[in-house]
Amino acid sequence: MSNPVIDVSCVNKRYRGKIHALRDLSLTVPSGRIFGLLGPNGAGKSTLVKILLSIVKARGVRGVMLGHPIGHRATLGKVGYLPEHARFPSYLSGRDVLRYTAGLANVPSKHAKQRSDELLELVGMSERANTKLRTYSKGMKQRIGIAQALINNPEVVFLDEPTDGVDPQGRREMRDIMIKMRDQGRTVFINSHLLGELEMVCDNVAILNQGQVVKHGELAELTAASRRFEIHYQGDLPAELQQQFTADGFELTNQLISMPMTDALGAQPVIDALRAKQLVISELKQSRQSLEDLFIESIETAKQNGPPPEVPKKSPPPLAGFAPADESNEDKKGDRA
Amino acid sequence: MRAICTLIWDSFRMLSARKLFWFAMAITLLISVGFASVGFNDSGYSLGFGLYQVDDQLINSGSPLAEVMLLKLLTDVVVPWWFGLAALVLALISTCSIFPEFMTSGSIDIALSKPVRRTTIFFTKYLCGLLFVAVQVACFCLVIFLALGLRLENWNYTIFWAVPLIVFVYSLIYSVAVLVGVWSRSTIFALLMAIGFWGFSWLIQVSEGMSYKFAYTMPEQGISINYQSGETVINEGATEPNKTAVNIHSAIEKIALPLPKTRDATYLIRRKITVDSNNLTSAAILGQLANTAEDDKMFKSEEKYQNRHSERYIILSSLAFEALVLLLASWLFCRRDY
Repeated sequence: MSNPVIDVSCVNKRYRGKIHALRDLSLTVPSGRIFGLLGPNGAGKSTLVKILLSIVKARGVRGVMLGHPIGHRATLGKVGYLPEHARFPSYLSGRDVLRYTAGLANVPSKHAKQRSDELLELVGMSERANTKLRTYSKGMKQRIGIAQALINNPEVVFLDEPTDGVDPQGRREMRDIMIKMRDQGRTVFINSHLLGELEMVCDNVAILNQGQVVKHGELAELTAASRRFEIHYQGDLPAELQQQFTADGFELTNQLISMPMTDALGAQPVIDALRAKQLVISELKQSRQSLEDLFIESIETAKQNGPPPEVPKKSPPPLAGFAPADESNEDKKGDRA
Repeated sequence: MRAICTLIWDSFRMLSARKLFWFAMAITLLISVGFASVGFNDSGYSLGFGLYQVDDQLINSGSPLAEVMLLKLLTDVVVPWWFGLAALVLALISTCSIFPEFMTSGSIDIALSKPVRRTTIFFTKYLCGLLFVAVQVACFCLVIFLALGLRLENWNYTIFWAVPLIVFVYSLIYSVAVLVGVWSRSTIFALLMAIGFWGFSWLIQVSEGMSYKFAYTMPEQGISINYQSGETVINEGATEPNKTAVNIHSAIEKIALPLPKTRDATYLIRRKITVDSNNLTSAAILGQLANTAEDDKMFKSEEKYQNRHSERYIILSSLAFEALVLLLASWLFCRRDY
């Protein structure tokens, strides 16, 4: 794996000393991939993103984003962000929103103008670019939100519930945009509840529960263990075959044989045995666990393992070179947000 | 710098999108046109661009009091009642929501995720909130300056002192609204608290002014009051100040010290606008209206009353208050999680 764009550890966040949003969280996000962060409500997904973007302050964070400590202000210029329920002033037009964000991100106005046109075209908002936001639908505002997140040509883009309020056609376009971003070499970090959406685009995922990462890795690898072949047949399965298949660890349910294996070669003897008994094979397919199944399984496993241990309030001292993103540190370093 | 320009540009867009701004601007322009409609001729003065003629022996084109009268109308009526009260209330209503709205989730996140310091965002937003008043007073002063210059051929640049003074007064009240807005994130609460605090400090200042008059101005004019019987006696010469009245004034003065001097700062305009090198509190100017020695004595004690607080005291004590409030608000704004 090339250098990760985000590599953090010891991320703790306790709101007003009561709600423990994140507990000693560690996370690595590979470069140039679409990374999905999943978790139930209140798992700490948005808090984690906000800590990475210095919107929320956390003590004792170790690690880097784009090679700089978390909270490094100049690094934020290379990052794009679409918050959940993004709100833009209704007196601005779509183009104005892009100019506003470009200004804050210190993009020269000449580049900002050119880039605005490109992005408005990309998100399909060129025709309505000069209309006030108050006349926009939720989906249109979300498109403008995506465009503003890209105005500074970021290396990493954080999208918090990007398809929220977007119609099915719009969602497909959003997915295409995300894939385009990845193809351009950007890292896309998505927070979403829509697992089906994520499954279609994500290369890597991390599942967050009660402030801790309970599973993470490449989506294909995570679901590989559950890969199986399924045979649908017609007719009655003889008793000796039932015994044999059960002994081999296959699941037999309602004219369906489910075989946990990664290679189709292993399914051939089963097919031969069924054909030998004159059974009709109506379907043979390869299946794997869906992201939703993986998510539910991870959350259930975490629940069975009990609540995570309490992290002491005082975090360990930071590693050399990785300064914590807390306020006291901010005061010491002039270039930190 | 680009980020600051962006925030200022956004503030102008916000201002121009608010109907209240244009409403207040329309009234301001109406007042300035009304002001500009006053003309002078040999027999007196006219109103409504010559529609209504008033014959006056004291105030006419040949009298130095013509300009004084117009400027007194400005400093004693328009500035304290429109710019010092009504326009400020409209400005507060219009700008109180700037911070609470900006700090809502989904709005502030975008600004904070950019490479801009939180303190820069806070202070730029605060200063931009003052634009509401600054633009209006500046337009008003320009019209008055041109009207006086064209009618009396006297280009009085000191009129423009109204701009920084009124903006300063507004900044004192607005700082309270910002502090409460940042703390509570509620526009209504911020507005009520700002107006409430403004009213409280105004009451203290009025009390201080009245107690000063009882303690010092009236004895100086030879007026003595028997506080038990309520009897008032006018003496030939100055009398000794009443000890109780002096103590009361001293106590109120101490209460007023840490408070913003909104009223005093508004009336500083009388000291900053000058006519023939004399400011509008000067007995030398008002003495032109004096007929008797008593009148002259009254104008002198009035001058002393209006200048009882130094400009430095008014500005610095108010600035100290504003700095404290803004530091607290910026600290809250910068350390908060959004």
